[in-house]
Amino acid sequence: MTDEQKSSLDAVDAGPIDSDAGEAPQPASTGDPSEHPSVAALLERFPSDVQGHRLTAGDQWVVWINPERSHEILTWLKEDPDHAYDMMSDVTGVDYGGGRLVEVVYQMFSTAHSRALRIRCPLPLDAMEIDSVFDLWKSVDWLEREVFDLFGVTFRGHPDLRRILMPDDYAEGHPLRKDFPLRGRFSRAEQTRRALAQDVERFYLAENLEAGDPQEVEAAEVGTIADPGAGALPAPAEAGEDD
Amino acid sequence: MATKTVEFNVGQGREMGLGGAGAPSPIAPFDIPEPELGTEQMLINIGPQHPATHGVLRLVCELDGETVTSVTPHIGYLHSSFEKLGEYRTWNQIVPLTDRMDYLAPLIYNCAYVMSVEKLMGIEVTERCKVVRVILMELDRIFGHLLWLGTTAIDVGAFTPFLYSFQQREKIYALHESLTGARITTSATRVGGMMADLPEGWLDQLLEFLDNFPKTLAEVHHLLTGNQIHIGRTQGVGAIGAAEAINYGFTGPNLRAAGVPYDVRKDRPYYDYETYDFDVPVGEHGDCYDRYLCRMEEMEQSVSIIRQAMARLPGGPINVEDPNISLPSKTDAMSDMESMIHHFKLITEGIPAPEGDCYMAIEASKGELGMYVVAEEGGTKPVRWRVRPPSFVNLSVIPKLAEGHLVSDLIMINASLDIVLGEIDR
Amino acid sequence: MGLIDKIPGSGSTRTEGGMFGPGSPTFLTSKVDALINWGRLNSLWPMPFGTACCAIEMMASAASNYDLARFGMERMSFSPRQADVLICAGRVPYKLAPVLRRIWDQMPQPKWAISMGACASSGGVFDVYSMVQGIDTIIPVDVYIPGCPPRPEGLIYGLMMIQEQIRQESLSKHFEHRAEDPLLVARPRASEAEVVGLTGPFGNSTQQDQISTGEFVAPAATEESLS
Repeated sequence: MTDEQKSSLDAVDAGPIDSDAGEAPQPASTGDPSEHPSVAALLERFPSDVQGHRLTAGDQWVVWINPERSHEILTWLKEDPDHAYDMMSDVTGVDYGGGRLVEVVYQMFSTAHSRALRIRCPLPLDAMEIDSVFDLWKSVDWLEREVFDLFGVTFRGHPDLRRILMPDDYAEGHPLRKDFPLRGRFSRAEQTRRALAQDVERFYLAENLEAGDPQEVEAAEVGTIADPGAGALPAPAEAGEDD
Repeated sequence: MATKTVEFNVGQGREMGLGGAGAPSPIAPFDIPEPELGTEQMLINIGPQHPATHGVLRLVCELDGETVTSVTPHIGYLHSSFEKLGEYRTWNQIVPLTDRMDYLAPLIYNCAYVMSVEKLMGIEVTERCKVVRVILMELDRIFGHLLWLGTTAIDVGAFTPFLYSFQQREKIYALHESLTGARITTSATRVGGMMADLPEGWLDQLLEFLDNFPKTLAEVHHLLTGNQIHIGRTQGVGAIGAAEAINYGFTGPNLRAAGVPYDVRKDRPYYDYETYDFDVPVGEHGDCYDRYLCRMEEMEQSVSIIRQAMARLPGGPINVEDPNISLPSKTDAMSDMESMIHHFKLITEGIPAPEGDCYMAIEASKGELGMYVVAEEGGTKPVRWRVRPPSFVNLSVIPKLAEGHLVSDLIMINASLDIVLGEIDR
Repeated sequence: MGLIDKIPGSGSTRTEGGMFGPGSPTFLTSKVDALINWGRLNSLWPMPFGTACCAIEMMASAASNYDLARFGMERMSFSPRQADVLICAGRVPYKLAPVLRRIWDQMPQPKWAISMGACASSGGVFDVYSMVQGIDTIIPVDVYIPGCPPRPEGLIYGLMMIQEQIRQESLSKHFEHRAEDPLLVARPRASEAEVVGLTGPFGNSTQQDQISTGEFVAPAATEESLS
């Protein structure tokens, strides 16, 4: 495959596969909610927002909730003294692929009651947005940034939502989506070219160190395949140069 | 829960500032008035290639003279997409990936991952396997803490503990190697058991190490714990309060140094940890010195746990005797048709999992390590494999910890957090 | 070019004129070369560009059990300006690639590069979107050390191979071998065709498109033609 045969950015513009599967297949609720006080309380307090619950892996409780009310529900789970989930251990995303909704998964733990709970929020593929819980737990700062980076979920209200693991100007998409190929969308030569065109000394001006928009990329440096511009690779090495 | 508050009386009665500026060093004069000079802030960059960042971490610091007014860590310089790779591999094929994330304590990751998969699949491993895994996890806790000790000491200028700790690590490397054939990338566990049982003489080798290790630890204590330079560099530096520490997501010795007695082995025990007799060191001030003390004490506690585990190590099989999960022995596979078919299916297809997801939290050397696996019905590969790395969340606190401190304190804080970029960037 | 021209026997392949004639190599140049090379190879200052697990083995090589100091590599130079040999130990993602290139460019000649470990040599286990498939697409590499991670003995063997290379160098060929084109700074070392050749999918990676359910999730047609 040479670079001439590919159009570099069409696939990125195409975005993820649209959900034409309609509603996500809701898992059948299992387990007896009275065994876990928080699950029972959630069903009682937010009956229309709980989409399902499950007992999995022997003794782990999972609750699916409506992502529009996630902030309210999580606030209540944190502040209500009977539940008091003071530790947000992990925030991550799950993409099943095949049109099924992407889910944001919260792993919570209460040190006071020694109880764990998992909350999952399914998001529609064309509107992957959810409220950030940074105001509740500071631990989700980088965790939400990672979900944004790798899945493309926008967290409303996050003070500094930009890419964290991939370079700021990464143009190939969101890697952990199922429609993202393992070896990336661009050819290795293009990835090498873009990698070396990065500004190593990219720094933030003092006013930009506060929460702000992602940095603007100097498009001229990167160039396109047809017109590499400043980012051209050198000509092939001449034969006979022994090193 | 038996906890022990560690307090070292250094007899100097020095004032320690909590949060904010560190305590004045013993040799700096503090009666000279500050001159009226015009200043402006400097923006400097530390890393990603730097000896003291403990990996490829980039810290962009805004400085007012030597004082850090803000620091922004940038990560992702080691992003190897383990999690995406995991989606393309069967359950057992993921085990070699787990070594390469936290390469300082690989056996802990090996064990944590298969524990999560076994919990998802409802597999109960044999008693021998449980005790062996406890021994290996505690051994690697010592292993990881030793490297932290060596590199943290060398960051503040103490070269000798680095050599001492690496010398002890060589002994653990030898133990790794006789068990698995590899020094670092052990890949010792499999779903349902271990790659192989303990070889002849391994327990004696381990006992020899346990007998000699406390002496070296005592020597390093002697070099560092009461050392005024070390104390001046670490006390009052990077302090955090208990409630804040929980909210910011601290786990492991960092959290316990802040006064929160949360240890996954005690609060969400696994593998009969509630039956082992050990203490969890809890600090008071949440500064670098308390983190140092917590980790030193944890190493001694791990020695005690390993001895207890060795005493109770039962015989019996190391792998679950279910042909759909564990590979049959080679003799069986070569002679018995059914075993050969099981072997074939296990290798080419893998173990089918039930529908569900499992988040298994264990106490790694760096903090709460969470392994989250999501599987579909009959799936031989995970839909999603997520690692909740303790260092990832611990490092995100550094802007708060380092504000107001000097650049040299920033280096010390970074070292005291005990981070490993392999697991941060995955 | 100054002194080099004046050394008898430099820059030409004729061997007439005896000991001090213009032919190359001569007794004098070979002795000078031997002296300079002896000095260089016994006092290499490594620039440890350690990223991952291989870096830990590199640290173990520098510690007392394996002790790189006896090879003259006591002082690990973390400043590239003062280093001779870049040891790239560990996997290098594309985000880190410009940093590696810049560190390499900052090193003064004569310099050598060691690619330690499978990940630095070829991408290793990580044939993925974010990993450089071998740092030889970015910097010229002299010695590749296989292993995951290589044992400290392996690293030492690789360093000894560098020493062997140095032993065979000649001052007269210095400008030929060690010249650097300032226009190529921060550009990848390999041309596009070479990158394609060096980083083609290896082994199982082309078949690794089956995800968990066993059904192949077909990406859109335009994406397929890219990978």
